[in-house]
Amino acid sequence: MIWLNGYTDTVYCIIRVVVGLMFACQGGQKILGFPPSERGLATTPIGLTAGWIELGCCFLIAFGLLTRLAAFIASGEMAVAYFLTSFSGKTLNHAPSVLERLLPILNKGELPVLFCFMFLLAVSTARVVGALIHC
Amino acid sequence: MNSLNRFADPFYCITRLIVGLMFASHGGQLVLGMFGGMPGSDNMMMQVGGWIQLVGGLVIAFGLLTRLAAFICSGEMAVAYFMIHVANAPTPMAKFFPISSAGPQVSNKGELAIFYCWFFLFVVFYGPGRWSIDAWLRKGKTAAATPTT
Repeated sequence: MIWLNGYTDTVYCIIRVVVGLMFACQGGQKILGFPPSERGLATTPIGLTAGWIELGCCFLIAFGLLTRLAAFIASGEMAVAYFLTSFSGKTLNHAPSVLERLLPILNKGELPVLFCFMFLLAVSTARVVGALIHC
Repeated sequence: MNSLNRFADPFYCITRLIVGLMFASHGGQLVLGMFGGMPGSDNMMMQVGGWIQLVGGLVIAFGLLTRLAAFICSGEMAVAYFMIHVANAPTPMAKFFPISSAGPQVSNKGELAIFYCWFFLFVVFYGPGRWSIDAWLRKGKTAAATPTT
């Protein structure tokens, strides 16, 4: 099945666009208010920083401009988001147990984990196909 | 910065392990009632989906029959997105946006399903990677399971 590897680059680039645009929604919610969210616009300094990083990096990642740099920043931001909100139990309404700290399915931190690792993958696999600038 | 490409395969293998385990924990939630269980998991389709997630997630995490398992899981997540998330969305806007943190009027909350679907599609094409049972079984038969660029 090694012939499938020939399509890896193509599939990777499609995924980068999809993930980048989903990331754009997160930033848009915090800064632009679109798509609308129940939490409303970001007001805290941390929320605003996160929103601008998300909004700035998402399009760079989606369209492959300075991909590695943007993906590195976005990946770090998602790691911070996971530890600040999910790991510390802010998404739950009670003090987290050890198990709730460690398992993303319990602390609702699956999305930050997935984003973080997808972007880490993008840091190491910026490819020529579909990227505006390959560096 | 092409020197960073040498980290692609190790990063990929770590990602595959973590994503596989998170996927399996959803299966455990549906089938075994772990992590508090999930409401509405007692119908036939959810049970079938749960077993695919549990077995497929573990098999992908450790890299056994990776491409086949990832193909099945990717298809299952596409079905889950369209049959559950999109089908239950009340407004046209909610049918389009998958964001998890928005309300039901604007979002179908299918972001995780999309994520798993595309990541597993990537796994189908990329293959098991160097740290996997597949690569360990194949050692000696073929030189390399994946190209290193």
